[in-house]
Amino acid sequence: MISSFLADPAFLENIIRILFVFVLITAAFTLSTRNIASLLTVYTIQSLMLVLISMSLYMIEGSQTLLAIAALTLVSKVLLIPIFINLIGEKIKISRDLKFNYLEPTASLLVSMGLILLAYVFLSGFFDEFILGKLFFMGAVIGLSLTLMGMLVIFSRKKVITKVIGYLTMENGVLLFGIFVADLPFIIEILIVIDLMILVLLTTILAIGLDSTREEYHQRLHTLKIWSGGEDQ
Amino acid sequence: MIILSYLVVGAIAFAFILFSKSHKAMNAFFILHTLAFLAIGLYALLTTGVPAFENGSKYFYVDHLSIYEVLIAALLFFLASVYANGYVESLMQAQELHKNNLKIFYTVFSLLLTTVTLAFFSDNLALFWIFAELTTVFSAALVAILSAKENIDAAIKYIFIASGAMLFSFIGLIFLYTLSGEVLGSGTLNWTVLVENAALFSPKTLTASFVFLFIGFAAKSGVFPFHTWLPDAHSKAPSAVSAILSGVLLNIGMYGILRMYAVVRQTQAENLVSQFLLGFGLLTIAVAVLNMLLQKNLKMLIAFSSVEHMGVLLLGIGIGTPLALFWTLFYVLAHSLTKASLFFSAGILHRQYESNLIQDIRDVFSLQPIAGWGFVIGSFAIVGMPPFPIFSAKFFILLEAFGFSKSLVLAVLLLLVIASTAFARFLIEAFTRSSKKAGTEDLETPVFPYVVRNGMKFPIISIILMILALGFFFPEPLENLLNEIVYELGYL
Repeated sequence: MISSFLADPAFLENIIRILFVFVLITAAFTLSTRNIASLLTVYTIQSLMLVLISMSLYMIEGSQTLLAIAALTLVSKVLLIPIFINLIGEKIKISRDLKFNYLEPTASLLVSMGLILLAYVFLSGFFDEFILGKLFFMGAVIGLSLTLMGMLVIFSRKKVITKVIGYLTMENGVLLFGIFVADLPFIIEILIVIDLMILVLLTTILAIGLDSTREEYHQRLHTLKIWSGGEDQ
Repeated sequence: MIILSYLVVGAIAFAFILFSKSHKAMNAFFILHTLAFLAIGLYALLTTGVPAFENGSKYFYVDHLSIYEVLIAALLFFLASVYANGYVESLMQAQELHKNNLKIFYTVFSLLLTTVTLAFFSDNLALFWIFAELTTVFSAALVAILSAKENIDAAIKYIFIASGAMLFSFIGLIFLYTLSGEVLGSGTLNWTVLVENAALFSPKTLTASFVFLFIGFAAKSGVFPFHTWLPDAHSKAPSAVSAILSGVLLNIGMYGILRMYAVVRQTQAENLVSQFLLGFGLLTIAVAVLNMLLQKNLKMLIAFSSVEHMGVLLLGIGIGTPLALFWTLFYVLAHSLTKASLFFSAGILHRQYESNLIQDIRDVFSLQPIAGWGFVIGSFAIVGMPPFPIFSAKFFILLEAFGFSKSLVLAVLLLLVIASTAFARFLIEAFTRSSKKAGTEDLETPVFPYVVRNGMKFPIISIILMILALGFFFPEPLENLLNEIVYELGYL
């Protein structure tokens, strides 16, 4: 019964469309959630949606690269990166990112609606030249929107850890865009993930001194020991 | 073979620095690393047949442009490594750099040199993108190495703006890949293939992908409106690092823009894109000089001047004639050298006064004659006074721009005058102040000159000699090299 559904491309395409909606919902949460732990969960769910999308697309298209991307995303973005950020988050004891720069959550949700429309209008101007199916066009729009919403998170949130999640959201958007517009060689995807991990590693270690609510980490800044301090313990 | 030898030397240098115990040893290995990279570059330029692919694979490509950029990078890293010998010692003595961070400083510095080199040699644009990203991460680590709050803030800002913008570049790459797939059958991101088949691409989509790529590369070069990270990062970083940030890392973004422009200029999109570049160039210069005019912080002044010069480079690329390109390439060399000497001098002054602020600087010539004169001569050179090389480069770029638009040239000239005023104002205010003349200040404790350590004067003096030489003579090998580059980019 289920297998007959899974063999039906029309059914899978609709599933992908529903997953698109889920992705946008997670992005909206990233813009407004104040609790760091929930933010991280939201990011993990978003990455999981990406895994499911590339799995479903693999079942329609049968391209091995999509399967490999799904596996890579699962390992790096659903498991490794959230676990690492969680470790740092627990260590430096921040639980909330209360302040917003420039935009409050409601305003940024309105702006992101505008951005989604903008992405649609912009891409429909260019994609008449490519032979791209409706679903793929939609994927490109959602990918670009997610990238823009991630950028909005970096702009509007204060804590470094939240900004990191914003950057990761942007990268998820680029991945989504890439899945639907071009089949990039898999080696490039691996290199991007490596780059992402180094960046997350560095920024979160730097965040130890800035974000922490615990006094000892602030002192560490003054005594100029943050690097060694961050790694020893 | 060239890439392989770079990789091997880079790995060996990294290992040696990692296992050495003293600062002297780390510094010595780093200097050797930079010298080896210089030597490999010169060897490749003089003996091997370029342009050529590396090891039969299509990922790396060695041509005159990449060798030129790599040589500039290696030269600046060499000067910075010599400077670092004394400078880092002072930082440690002043307890600004913790001794546990010393090894991180040198290993990351060495990694930065290797990734910069690999970035310039990448033919595949995705590979270039990744190496450029890594240079951002490594250089941000060097900005944060002093672990003061303002340094970490600057580093974080740098990473998020530059890397975030680079993600838009990646979208541009995806566009480009799809575009080439439509035209050539299978998608490619190899620059050599793209530039060969550029005429076949649809101008509209090519423009879109250029604009996306431009966002990332512009952010890496500190072009308006993505320049906001640059003044913070460049002024807060240790001076040896600031010189590399301004003299080498900004070139990476410009290199990317130049390579992409070489593709775009073969299509009908050329006109639009070159106007786009001229517009951003002019805006960048304007924003930079307005920030320079009343600047009170010495290193901020130099940092904004870097923004201004990136604007001039954009103009040079945007004009798009072979002569303009020739002088733009020369400008890259002249700017990198001059800017490094300014940052090196500023580093000594910062050690002396423990401040970059205009009001703290006094008795410069009696306390720090080399750094003082280095800064004065460097300022003359950077604003483009004859006989310094930036003068001729600017002169010929603007001469070419004259054919393009007269009002543009007038606007740029006006802005350049403001930039010169900014430097003149700073010099007059800071460098003529003497504590003896001001009667009441005689009572203050006398200031002792900071003892300039080994190796810190050599880079300043050698750069000044180099730019003077470049101002008076145009060496023939350099002329041939630049002509080769102009030819290889398809301008002639």
